[in-house]
Parts: sequence; C-alpha cells; structure tokens
Amino acid sequence: MTIQTYSGDFYELLQQYQAQSGVRVPLLSPIDAPNPAPNAALEVHGTTVIALKFQGGVLNVGDRRATAANAVMYDRADKIIPLDDYTLVAIAGAYGRAMEVVRYLRHSFKYYARSQLQPMSLDGKLQEVSRALSANLPNALGGIGLFIPILSVYDPDRDSGRIFFYDVSGARFETPEYGAAGSGSERIRGVFDYITKTRGPFSQRPLEEALREAILLLDIAADLDAATGGIDKVLPTARYVNREGVFEVPEATIRDIVQSIRSGGNG
Amino acid sequence: MLTPYDFQENLQQRAQYIRNRLRAGSPVIGISYDNGVLLLALKRRGRKVYEIYDRLMFSAIGNQADVENLRLAAIDFAHQEGFVRSPDDVTIQRVVGFALSPALKKAFGDPLTTPFVARALFAELHDAPEGDQFYTLNYDGEFLPYERFAVIGGAPHAEEQTTRYLEAQLTRIPTLETALPIALTAWGVAYEAAQQEDVDAVSEDAARNRLREMLGEAQVEVGILERQTLRENRFRLLPQNQLEPYLKRL
Repeated sequence: MTIQTYSGDFYELLQQYQAQSGVRVPLLSPIDAPNPAPNAALEVHGTTVIALKFQGGVLNVGDRRATAANAVMYDRADKIIPLDDYTLVAIAGAYGRAMEVVRYLRHSFKYYARSQLQPMSLDGKLQEVSRALSANLPNALGGIGLFIPILSVYDPDRDSGRIFFYDVSGARFETPEYGAAGSGSERIRGVFDYITKTRGPFSQRPLEEALREAILLLDIAADLDAATGGIDKVLPTARYVNREGVFEVPEATIRDIVQSIRSGGNG
Repeated sequence: MLTPYDFQENLQQRAQYIRNRLRAGSPVIGISYDNGVLLLALKRRGRKVYEIYDRLMFSAIGNQADVENLRLAAIDFAHQEGFVRSPDDVTIQRVVGFALSPALKKAFGDPLTTPFVARALFAELHDAPEGDQFYTLNYDGEFLPYERFAVIGGAPHAEEQTTRYLEAQLTRIPTLETALPIALTAWGVAYEAAQQEDVDAVSEDAARNRLREMLGEAQVEVGILERQTLRENRFRLLPQNQLEPYLKRL
C-alpha cells in the first residue's frame, strides 16, 4: 500500500497535474523566447508603486498606467493586489507574468491553509514568493517577464506591519519604513529619507497622513517619469493591511486628497 | 463450504456495514440565509466544517480518514481547476459530480478495496440566496442537489424527518439570527431520529433536550460563507461567543 502524503504544496500539485494530464502549466515552463528576446526593450518596468508603513499596518499606493516602450497601453491597471487577508503585493514590471505569479501565490497560500488547516507562516509565504520568482528567472533573463514585487504584510507575532522587497532572482530584503518599485520610484527615493529624517518614522503616523504623503509622492514621481500615470486622469489605487485584514481606500477619500493637493493645501 | 462470489450479496453486505457505522454519526445541517450559507455540526475534538474553495464548504459524517481523503481530493481538484482555468469554473456540481462521485462508486463496487465510510454535505454560495446550492454525496457515489437547506444524518429516515421539520420552519429566506435556532433544533431532530427506529416524528422538545445533553461532551461548530464581506476569505467559523446566546435559549 502506498501512503499518500499531503504537504499542502501547490507547486507539487501543479506538477502532478502537468505530469498526469500532459497539459502544460505556463508558470512551470519558461516561455521559449529567443535569448535575449528581440523586444526586451519593451520590458522597462514603467510604473510607480509605493509601500509606506503607518501605525499598525502598511499602506500601498500605485498608479494605474501600463506602458510598452513609449506607448501607453492601458490606463486602469491594478498593481496593488491582495494575496490573502494579511498580505498585499505591489508589482512593477511585466504585467502578464506578474499577474500569473500573483494568481499562483493566491492559490498557493489558500491551498496550504485549506488543506493543512492552519495558515501558511509568514516566512513560508515569503519563501513561496522567492520560489515563484526564481521559477520565473529564465523568463526574466530572456527579456520577457521581469518584474519586482513588494510584499506588505501584517505580522501578528509583532503586531505590526512589515515590508519586504525582492530582486529578480528571488532574493528577499526587509525594509524598515517604506518601499518603492518601478521607473518612477528611482526618482523619489531620496524624498522618503528626507521625510523620515525631518518628520520621524512613517510607522508612528496615522493612516491619513501616510495616504496623503504617498499620493503626493506619486504625483511627484509622475512629474518626473513619463511611464507613471499620476493622480489626475485616473485616480491611483490604494490598499492597506492591518490587524483587521486587507482594505481598499474608497475612491472618494482619494479624490478628496487629490483635490486638496491640487488646490494648494500642503501640495 | 466455500460459497461462490455473489456480486449482489457483496454489495449488500458492504452497504450494511457502512450504514451501521454511519448510524452513530453526528448530523450536519445546511441552511441558506440572506447574507450567506451556513453548515452546523457538533464536534467532539477535531474540526467538522471545512472550507474547500472560495465559495465552497463541506462537512461529513463517517470515518475520519475517509472524510479527510474526500476533503483533500475536493481541495486538490478545486485549486487545480481554479488556477488552470478560473475560480468561476470551480462549481459544486463539478467537484461533487465529476471529481469525487466516480471515485467513491469505484471504491464501493470494487471487492478488493475498502469502501469509503462517509456521507458528505457540500454547500456553495451564490450572489443571491436563490442560487445557493447544497449537494449530498453518499458512500456509493450517489449525489443529490438541494436548494435552501439540506441535511445529512445517521439514517435516511432521520434525514427525512429533519427535512420535514426544516420545510415547515423555513417558510421564507432567514437571516443568520433566525437560521441558527432552527438549525440547532434541526440537528437535535436528526440525531434523535437516527437513534430511534420506530418514532414517527421527534418532538421539538425531545430534539432540544437531546442537543442540550450532547452539549455536555461536544461543541457546536458553525461554518459560514458570507455573501457580502470586505475580507478576502468568505469562509469563517463563527466564534463561540457568538453562538453562546443561541445555546442558552435552547
């Protein structure tokens, strides 16, 4: 008699499925692109996503623009996506591959929790992101599919928000106060430091302040980076995670802040 | 003397064996209410009500290992399909009818394998209560769809009685607050009826008495799938303090 084991590993489940059915699961097999892909230049990750800590959690704000070279492809891309009730991911880079990995992670976390009857540990989740990124490495090297995620989590053991970012190969880094990714983020990186050094850490400030700060930073990034959509034409998306779960900031709240920035209030 | 293998006799014996073992099983009541679906069961130690997928949950009576096998097979299928295709394609009728039922039937009919000792109840949440669906799945692979409410218990006559009780009580779509007391009494009806062979209809008092008695050694477990929620997961178990007021009023 063979004893079947259940590790709750979604990757393993997909591999079994692929082996049994013969159906190719795109995530597990790199796309066969010439190396390097002729259109590698299309893969400049034009965007700005920002993760800021606030008292009790982490706020994510992202613009909505998706670009290919100098063409604006889409104006309503959602780059801030909840993975489960304690985890948010903000993505910069190749949207198609990123969404595939996000879909994988959402299933992977839930599959583990549902089958093992306990949530995946924070470290387990972070490791799973690393694994998905390294599985995607051949695509990234081939010039298609390079993307960088920022993970914002609520850590129940520390009762606080935490921010992690990754490089293309899956290496993981934790950042104490803020994280940003995308072409626009390079241009505003110094501003975060200026704010924390002059006004104190983000993690000590209320959500409203962090939200205002983040939208203003996104506005500055859009001024300096053509691939960042900005805050006027289409409102940015904002989500946050705290002890109660993952929440979306209502459009009306964002609109009010944008208007107050435009009318000169602190802007 | 060696008797020749008789297919029919073999199946009857297997069915009899399983029915005897299911008889002591603790029933499960499913009710669809305005803002969700609930499954109510009594647990002694382990869990009884489980999340399968985004809009799918499950509970079963029977052998623990068999129930686990069913649960994991359902979860495997649902997540595989949800990822490769779409979460919208993971439906109760596909999970029960195609992923699980044939395997149960095969195990039941094959004289060289141990049959599953399990009877399961699945619940699926839709956008409106009218769309909510329940499926019962039997040890021999038989499955049946239900709307509004469903029950699994230790014996068919107990399920029939409980269905009549629920039919009479649930004249309109309930709220969670009105559904819980009905589900609790229905649990008592199902359990009491399964214990007794010849009683035609278990009285509500007898049902509640039995439930109160059982609460000495077991705990009520209610899993819900919420129709409107800000949370990522629609499934959650109701916390014990939320059930307390209903148990006091029994």
